[in-house]
Amino acid sequence: MFFKLIPTTGQPLYLQLMQQIRHAAETGALRDGDQLPGIRTLAEKLVVSPNTIAKAYSELEHEGLLELRQGSGAFVCVKRRTRFLADQVHMARRRIRDLIERLRDDGLLDQEIRRAFEAELLYPPEIVTKR
Amino acid sequence: MTNEPVILTRALAKSYGNLAAARDLNLSVARNRITAFLGRNGAGKSTTIKMLLGMTRPTAGSGTVLGKQITNTTESCELRRRVAYVAEDKPLYGYMTVEQTIRFASSFYTDWRRDVEQKLVCDFELPLHRKVKMLSKGMRTKLALLLAFARRPDLLILDEPSEGLDPVGIEYLLQVLVALSAEGVSVFFSSHQIGEVERVADHVCILDKGCLLMDTSLDQLRQFYRRVDLVFSAPPPEREFRISGVQRIETSGRQMCVFASENAEAVVERAHDLNAVSVEVAPVGLRDIFLETVRET
Amino acid sequence: MLWYKAWLETRSRFLTCLATLTLFSGIFVHHAQALVRPEWKSDFNRLLFVNQQFLVIMWVLAVVLLGMGGIVREKAVGTSSLTLALPASRVRLLGVRVATGILQAAMLATVPWIAVFFVSTFARKPILVNQVLSYVLLLIGGGLVYFALAVLVSSLVAGEYTAPAIAFGVVLLGAIVFDSWLRQFNVWRLVTGDFSIDRGTYLLSAHPPWTGILASLSVAVLLLLASAIVVQRRDF
Repeated sequence: MFFKLIPTTGQPLYLQLMQQIRHAAETGALRDGDQLPGIRTLAEKLVVSPNTIAKAYSELEHEGLLELRQGSGAFVCVKRRTRFLADQVHMARRRIRDLIERLRDDGLLDQEIRRAFEAELLYPPEIVTKR
Repeated sequence: MTNEPVILTRALAKSYGNLAAARDLNLSVARNRITAFLGRNGAGKSTTIKMLLGMTRPTAGSGTVLGKQITNTTESCELRRRVAYVAEDKPLYGYMTVEQTIRFASSFYTDWRRDVEQKLVCDFELPLHRKVKMLSKGMRTKLALLLAFARRPDLLILDEPSEGLDPVGIEYLLQVLVALSAEGVSVFFSSHQIGEVERVADHVCILDKGCLLMDTSLDQLRQFYRRVDLVFSAPPPEREFRISGVQRIETSGRQMCVFASENAEAVVERAHDLNAVSVEVAPVGLRDIFLETVRET
Repeated sequence: MLWYKAWLETRSRFLTCLATLTLFSGIFVHHAQALVRPEWKSDFNRLLFVNQQFLVIMWVLAVVLLGMGGIVREKAVGTSSLTLALPASRVRLLGVRVATGILQAAMLATVPWIAVFFVSTFARKPILVNQVLSYVLLLIGGGLVYFALAVLVSSLVAGEYTAPAIAFGVVLLGAIVFDSWLRQFNVWRLVTGDFSIDRGTYLLSAHPPWTGILASLSVAVLLLLASAIVVQRRDF
């Protein structure tokens, strides 16, 4: 399993890891029953604090994506909800693709589009609804 | 196993004549975490660590390490049994050989792990029968670190551990720190390598001129510390943006840059209320956060 | 393994001094027939007395050197952060160092005189065992104060070379001052046997100067206690 955690984006590392594990489950890189590396192993491999890994695994266990078995490790259990999410993501990507096409037609450069997305994403959801 | 902090100080202070190396320090380092201690040279990091280990007597205040009073000679000796420490200059006895050094150090601790020691001697390629004064600087650094890593203490304190190591060595060092942390060792280290700190630390404390300026989790910083770049048609007064959480405001013509450790949303709202032409929010890396925090006002 | 460390730190100093003192004493006594002057009545005994004079100079130099070291010196050298991080109290660190030094000082007093005993026995000039014992007792009992002084200086002064220089300076100054104004309290004269020697037979008195020795040892103990206090209170 390849994960890449970037400390300088505005997102806690455990959230990044959670997203990447979820993404792997959605795309099928991780299937039902697959075993993820132990906390210590993954921490050493990614060179991040084991607390990050532990928190990510723990949150994902809460969500139902992972099953933590004492002594054996973390196992993936892809449920129907996750597959439903995968479909959502799939549709979202199509909408984003169309939007990007239109922005490019308007004359925006890819760099500018990326920055605009990132800037908007840093707004917490509460502010967006107020607007 | 209690949940009490591994390091807890109350109004700890140290002055050398007129110079205050530490002022009113209220440090609280939690168990089972990797905590980084950042500060400029001369900020008081080494002095603080020395006070914690009983090498220097505080001028005021008190503290405990692993629940033991740092100012009590007997308790200080007891706590050192459960603490591994490597000073900034990686001290070693020049007249001992590598093997003698290891035998000497291991004789003091029940938590010594011979299997890890042998693995490290192998990985570091340390010549067992050579005297320490004949070793290269890199080898000396590795040996000094080995004396701490071949143990399983409750607390590991490192002062600038990556100094003297090449990038491969630094990577190895971080992996060892992470591995020890996974085994339940609390890690407290000071470093100038902010990039490394950003990768492995759970928590960060920033010290400047003897005062503790920041004590937060890195996740908190990543999630909430923001830089808001604003453009207005006419420069607005800075006082509009002096809201809670704002660390610094810089204005240049019609542009304004606001650094907020939290509550960036309020800054964005205010900007919209004042009809900002452009509002951009961006995260701030730890290096910039550090520079911001210690800069002279 | 603090004893091992203390040994490693003082090993070369100690062995060099031991060899020097022993060889000197042995050779001096063996070849000193030529030095014996006709007007000396008790020639061989006087020779032994002269040997003690030389031995005292070298022995005091040696124990002052052996008294150097400790965590204050380690601070100058840069290893105090390692030693003080060990789970050993400063008093224990000092205690081991002092005990090692005392044992070494005792050996430096005993071995040369044993060599003298054997050399003179083989040269068919036997000497009384109690004379040898008396000389050794004077050295150790009277002379340990110099060692204690060196330990105190090394606890106060950090430099690698400044500490021994100051220690030697104090010893010299002390010898001069005491000899000029407080002759009867001059430890140097106590240790060389000046106060107990019979100028006729050049034999040491059968009754060792216990008062002097006890006084000297008490001062030594005080100096060591002072060192412990200094080291305990110091910031590193």
